[in-house]
Amino acid sequence: MATTIPLIETQGLSKRYGEKAAVESVSFQVHGGEIFGFLGPNGAGKTTTIKMIVGLLQPTGGLVKVAGYDVQKQPLQAKAATGYVPDEPNLYPKLTARELLRFVGDLYGLDRARVDHRSEELLRLFDLVSAGDDVIDSYSHGMQQKTALAAGLLHDPKVLVLDEPTVGLDPKSARLIKDILRQIADRGAAVFLSTHILEIAERMCDRIGIINRGRLIAVGTMDELRAMGKGETSLEDIFLDLTGGAEYAEIAEVLA
Amino acid sequence: MSLMELEYQPPGLWSSVWRLLKLRALIFFSSFRRAKTRGKIAIIFIVLLVLGFLGFLLFASWALLGFLRSPQLAQFSGDMSALVNSVPVLIVGGAFLGILLTSFGVLLQALYLAGDMDFLLSAPISIRAVFITKLLQAILPNFGLISIFALPVLYGLGISSRYNLLYYPLVIIMLASLALAAAGLSSLLVMFIVRLFPAKRVAEVLGFIGALASFICSQSGQLANFDHVTQDQTTQMFSLLSRFNNPWSPLAWAGRGLIDIGEGRWLSGVGFSLLTLGLAAVIFSLALTTSERLYYSGWASIRTTAHKKKVLRPSRNRAASPFVALAERRVPAVIRAVIVKDYLVLRRDLRNMSQLVTPLIFGIVYAVMFLRNGGQPSLGRGEAPALFNEVLKNIFVYGNVGISLFVGWMLLARLGGMGFSQEGKSYWLLKSAPVTASQLVLSKFLVAFLPTLALGWAFLLAISLLQQVNLSVILFTVPVVALSIAGNAGLNLTFGITGANMIWEDPRQMQKGSSGCLGSLASFIYLPLSLLLFFGPELLFALLGLPEFIGQLTGLLLGGVFSLAVAIIPLWLVRNRVLHLDEK
Repeated sequence: MATTIPLIETQGLSKRYGEKAAVESVSFQVHGGEIFGFLGPNGAGKTTTIKMIVGLLQPTGGLVKVAGYDVQKQPLQAKAATGYVPDEPNLYPKLTARELLRFVGDLYGLDRARVDHRSEELLRLFDLVSAGDDVIDSYSHGMQQKTALAAGLLHDPKVLVLDEPTVGLDPKSARLIKDILRQIADRGAAVFLSTHILEIAERMCDRIGIINRGRLIAVGTMDELRAMGKGETSLEDIFLDLTGGAEYAEIAEVLA
Repeated sequence: MSLMELEYQPPGLWSSVWRLLKLRALIFFSSFRRAKTRGKIAIIFIVLLVLGFLGFLLFASWALLGFLRSPQLAQFSGDMSALVNSVPVLIVGGAFLGILLTSFGVLLQALYLAGDMDFLLSAPISIRAVFITKLLQAILPNFGLISIFALPVLYGLGISSRYNLLYYPLVIIMLASLALAAAGLSSLLVMFIVRLFPAKRVAEVLGFIGALASFICSQSGQLANFDHVTQDQTTQMFSLLSRFNNPWSPLAWAGRGLIDIGEGRWLSGVGFSLLTLGLAAVIFSLALTTSERLYYSGWASIRTTAHKKKVLRPSRNRAASPFVALAERRVPAVIRAVIVKDYLVLRRDLRNMSQLVTPLIFGIVYAVMFLRNGGQPSLGRGEAPALFNEVLKNIFVYGNVGISLFVGWMLLARLGGMGFSQEGKSYWLLKSAPVTASQLVLSKFLVAFLPTLALGWAFLLAISLLQQVNLSVILFTVPVVALSIAGNAGLNLTFGITGANMIWEDPRQMQKGSSGCLGSLASFIYLPLSLLLFFGPELLFALLGLPEFIGQLTGLLLGGVFSLAVAIIPLWLVRNRVLHLDEK
């Protein structure tokens, strides 16, 4: 269950591209043992926020702390505590999954014996043992996604950040990931995930943040979000209400 | 009214082809419109340059072919009209074979690896229309390129031989129909090969073989000795070329038809032309109908990627190697990991290999040329001052260093200049890991430096041994090459960082923008400067009659400090950029 220590903390986090604000003054906390769902329409700023949390993008304003470390000032400590799985699993196509995991293990300074042991565990978990010596180039999208997940989990991170983790996965793998994320959170880690699948957010996440046009417009548990809305009970209705999805009714009318 | 109530009228074949081609044209013009002004000016300049080249080639062919037919020349070299008459046969036949070979790779890309195939196949358009469009789209660039060379020569021949007007449009019709037939055959070959091997792997192997073959062809001229070609050999070559003009060879029919129509021999001219056009039409329609079946089933069943099991070497072998054990003890894990990963990736992608093998071939070609002359400068008629000859001889002693550094310069352009770009879309793995900028830069420096040093030293020692160079010279040149390569590696990597391009699909698209060019230019300035500092003192000491050994030491000190400064300072200045690459 959630602890009081914030493992992810953003204060006034902003990212501007020239005149355009991709993310504007976003502040939230994610505690250990918590699964935090990050929702928003396309282009709302989810991936930009995630990239700033994991140190892939430099914020133009504000602060991000991971495991208590300022990502800008103490990037190595922050990155060492983070596991990241991007929306597109762009991995080195000419490496095998085993070679990739060994490479990632070296980057995180893990002992070789531990890397080998953990790699086998993760490959078994994700049903990749037989494909472990094939080059990633030959994997399906789902297999690549699972390899990226294995790489993100290899060093047993305190903070796990996932951008659309279930895209391209079959129902069995998607279920497996949901179970793994719950277990990781139960062990005291913070899990931050963005998703478009509201059912996942509603059933899995302890708290949910909704971002729209770069601004965080709502944060809270499902009950807190319900209280904020106009009496809607489902996350879908709350989401559409908060992000201005009323126009979808018109579209439905046109298609009818 | 709902959309389903509208009655769907499937478009005709040519209407679909036209629509798809219009879409391509729209994409082309829209990219041109959106390009930067600099890019637009460059394109316009290239178009004008090509037009100028066409005009030049037309007039040059006109004059040359007219000269070959002149009675004055015939008095000295015999009748050349057989050779002139075989020009259309050679050009049209060559164009057919050229398109047959070159369109294989383009068609493989267009038919199997293009990203729009799913979209097009799921649209209500006949597969035949998709196939024709892809075929046209794939052969147009090659056809255009071949036409740039073929049309001016054939038109020049027509003007110089005063052929009748029908000849000129017929040239275009012949070239176009033969191009379509060649592309049809090529597409069948593509579909056959792809049923046996994964398309991606075929593309990689083809890229490697193509790059290597074109490079070897271009460099083989360097090894050929044209100084001793006899008149007999020239005559034999001309007669060999004329032999291609054989009426029984289908490849010669188009050319013979063109000449006969041009010269007014209507019966044979029309006969050969109809035969060619008919054969081309048969080949094209056969390819079209066969492809319609094969293409669909082929597309639906192929694997674009290989599923080959990689056999890992047993880990105890790695542990047993003392070099690996030493590296594991001395080199930090992060740096070791990046180096191992880069070498694995470079070795496994054949498209990289062609770029890496090029310097090796260049080195061998120039080493052979250097050694063929005995490693001695040509002193001409010996009228130059003795001092000049002495300096030249001293410089030639270090020709081995020149070749080693030249090979290194080319290899570094790839390994250093593209060290960061080669990470591509996978760079997030390094960027999100707890790795410092300095560690990343040092790893990439070693990735570029170590193999270049090994190759540079290999060339240096091999040439030195063949030249039987003194041990003192070898002992001096070994650190010179190492230090000079270190500076060059630093310089190339610096420009590689400032101009890194992470968005590419094919490794050959890595080099983008002017940074690669600037890196090579900077190396071009750096190398002579460093060599001046390394060898200047020794040459000066030799001329002044002072001990050469002191000169060598002074050179090593001056050149070494300069090279190390070039290796370290620029990289130190740009090192923090590596943490912000790929941030739009």
